[in-house]
Order: sequence, then structure tokens, then C-alpha cells
Amino acid sequence: MRASAFFCELLLVVCALAGCATVRPEDKEHLAEPAMTWGSEDLGDEQERHVLDNREGSTGSGNTSGGGCGCN
Amino acid sequence: MQLTSARGRPGRARLRTLAALSCALCACALLGAHARADASVTLGSGLFRESGGPLKMNVIMPSASANVELGEPVNLRVGWSADIVSGASVAVVDAPAANVDAISTATVKDTRHVFSGGFTLRDELGSVAVGYNHAFERDYRSDSFSVTARSELFERNTGIELSYSRAFDRVCDLAGTFEPVMKPRLPSSDGCFSEDKSRTERSLAIHTLQAGVSQAWTPQLTTQLTLLAQVLHGFQSNPYRAVRIGKTAAQEHQPSDRARYALGIGARYWLTPLSAALALEGRVYRDTWGITSLSGELAYDQRLFGEVRLRLRGRYYTQTDAAFFSDDYVLAPSGRYFTGDRELSSMHSMLFGLAFHWYVPGDASGRVLGVLERFTLALKGDLLKSAFDNFHYDRAEVPNTLAQVLTLELRAGF
Repeated sequence: MRASAFFCELLLVVCALAGCATVRPEDKEHLAEPAMTWGSEDLGDEQERHVLDNREGSTGSGNTSGGGCGCN
Repeated sequence: MQLTSARGRPGRARLRTLAALSCALCACALLGAHARADASVTLGSGLFRESGGPLKMNVIMPSASANVELGEPVNLRVGWSADIVSGASVAVVDAPAANVDAISTATVKDTRHVFSGGFTLRDELGSVAVGYNHAFERDYRSDSFSVTARSELFERNTGIELSYSRAFDRVCDLAGTFEPVMKPRLPSSDGCFSEDKSRTERSLAIHTLQAGVSQAWTPQLTTQLTLLAQVLHGFQSNPYRAVRIGKTAAQEHQPSDRARYALGIGARYWLTPLSAALALEGRVYRDTWGITSLSGELAYDQRLFGEVRLRLRGRYYTQTDAAFFSDDYVLAPSGRYFTGDRELSSMHSMLFGLAFHWYVPGDASGRVLGVLERFTLALKGDLLKSAFDNFHYDRAEVPNTLAQVLTLELRAGF
């Protein structure tokens, strides 16, 4: 329960900080690079996650999509 | 995944599988052509190989998927993947084995198919994606659905994503009521999901909730925070695996409830002078079985020339053992549960990866090979070395601690 509360608080803090940073659209060239885009997983990454889920006692290594480039 | 008497899989099931896949892919392609929509097809295959002593595991992982953009707001996708498994695994954990050659093994042979489909609805504020998976093999069935909602805020500098998935799994097991310490292991998958009275199925429900926030801080820096909570309820043991708990061996017996939590953070920084990206990621994990794990990963992604990228990666992982784990249940039992799963012991691993991406550029007309709008080739290889500090097969060390994963992917856009 304490862990859940900590996670929720952390999420709220990150959300609150998020509005403080602004990158203008014309400055997002590098953020749109595939290497900089969250969630741009290819088949190899998916299969690696599948292998690791079966070869480790934990899970939860996936990325969500997005990343601020505005290209998703 | 089954232990089998090496009987072949019926050909009719394979034909059904191929027919369904072909129909789905053709339907997507025709739909895309008819609607003059943006469509893409991805074909690929992976190979997992792990061996050592008498233990070996080979998994071929073919995959095919198609995406169609039906106008601006709707994207449809279908896919198929498989795990074609063959090898030899441990039959009875902690059976007398003074060295690796004495480890008792059983043949493993099965094919797991996964069919998936879904759609995404998108507008200026965000998107909602709905997906469904159906997976089956001789001794396992799984149906799952997922819903994912995401939105971008603050001039698209912040991405927020929330997803929920629910899986309804069924596992083949021996029929009948046994005391856990008297229950034998399932000898093979023969008779599973049929009228065979000696077999039954156990259910497993999995709820997964994941949230993520990504943020662009500067034109070169982006970060991400992910939270995962997962609750499992039902049969979670491997029915084929037996553990020596006295003079005899019994099917492993694990708790039926497990709650898992993970927190992941990541940062990516663009090195402008080098045209390269540096990525750093970390994850903390805990669950109600007592496992705590940490992992850290560092990656360097170099744009070489044109549209060619090379990525180098290293990852370190460590975990504690489950509260009910013991390396020897005869001498040191640990509560009412017992397991022969090495992934529930304390362990650590190192992974080294190399990936190559080539975005093939179009000709003067913007076409690739005259017909495609875009084409991508990706080749990826990983080496995974694990170490088990507190897990032995009787007195023998774990022999199969080195694994290789190789993946080839071809993606074409029309």
C-alpha cells in the first residue's frame, strides 16, 4: 500500500513538472529520430522482452509510446 | 510448453493456422488498396538458443503482421506469431545429479501460436487502442484483451499513456484431487484439452495496469517514467516440473496469488556532434512472492550514414529469491510451497546486444523497388549470460546459462 502511494505521488510530481518544459515544434528534429522515440520498438525488442520475461523472475520492462516529438 | 512423447503436431491445425493468417493479411492488403490507405506489412523471425550439458532449448519465433490506416482516425492491425520450441529440459529438479551429465531430462517439443488483432482510433487530442490476442498450444490456451489510451499535452511535449489488459489463461494439468506433496507431475501433453478424463484444465487470470509519462525537456533530452501493477490469480506452477521433497518427487506447488509492481525510468539524449543517441534506463521491481529486482541498461545508437543505424547495448539485471524458494527442499524446506523454477532463485544476468537498422531510401519517384513507399530491414543479436548463486540440480551447477537471440525483421510500406 505504501508502495502504491509512493508511485501515485511520483506520477503526480512528474505530471506537475511536465508543464514547466516547452520545446518548440521547430526544435523537435532530433526528438523525432527513431532512436529518441519511446515506444518505437521493433520485432527484435518485442522478442527480447518475451525472452527476458521467461528467463527472469520479474516483468515490466516495456516502454509506452510517445516522447514529445509530436510524431506519434 | 509441453513435454511430449515426440509425436508430430496434426497437419490440419497447421493448415488452419496458415489459412487464417493468409486470409487476414490478404484482407488487410485488399482493404488498404480499396481505400487507398496507408498500409504496411512486417515479416520477421527470431531464433532463441540456450544450451549447456544435457539441457538445450531452441525456439524459432516467426511473425507476420499488417497495419492499415483507414483515413485519418482509424488504424486496423492483425498479426500472427509463433514459438516453435524443441529441446530438452529438466524433468525432476534435485534428483540425484552430482554433475551436469547426470541431470534427468525430458524432451520438449511444441508450437505456440498467437493471433492478434485490434484497432486504434485517433484524433488531435489523443488515441484509444483496443486489442485482442488468442494464443494456443497443446497444453495452454490464452485469450486476452487490452485497452490503451494516450494523449499529448503542453504543445505535445508531454505524453501520457494508460493501459489495461486482462488475460484468461487455461493450463493443462492432471485431473483429480491430490495433496500437494503427493501430486505427480504431468508426464506429457497427450490428452490435454480433449475428452481424456485423466486431464483437466486450471485457470489463471491476469490483470495488468500500466501508466507512462514521457516528457521532452530540451531539443536533445527526453525522459520517460512507467509504472506497472499486475495481479495474477490461479494456477502458476509448471505442471511438468517435479521437485524432490523427500524420498519421492512431487509436482511443484506455487502460491495461486501474486501481485507484481514495477517502476521504470529512462532518459535519452541526442549527441548532436556525433549524430547519435545515448539511452539510460533503469527499473525497480517487487512482488508479493518476495522477489525484488533491479535492472539498468545503457545503449548507444549511432546514425552511420544515410538511413543506417547501429545500436550497441548493455544490460545488467539482479534479483533476490522468492520467499518460498529453497535449493534443497529435503534438508531445508521453506514453508508450504516448493518450486524447481530457477527464475525464482536469486540470480543476476548480463546482456549484450547489437542491432542494425537500414531504412532503404526511395528512388527519384520516392519508391523503393518501384512499388513500395518505404522499406526497413532490421537485424538484431543479443547474448544473455545468467548466473544462479543459489540454485543447483542436486549438487550440479546450472549448465545452460548462456543464451543467444537473433532476430531479422523486414517491414514494407505501401
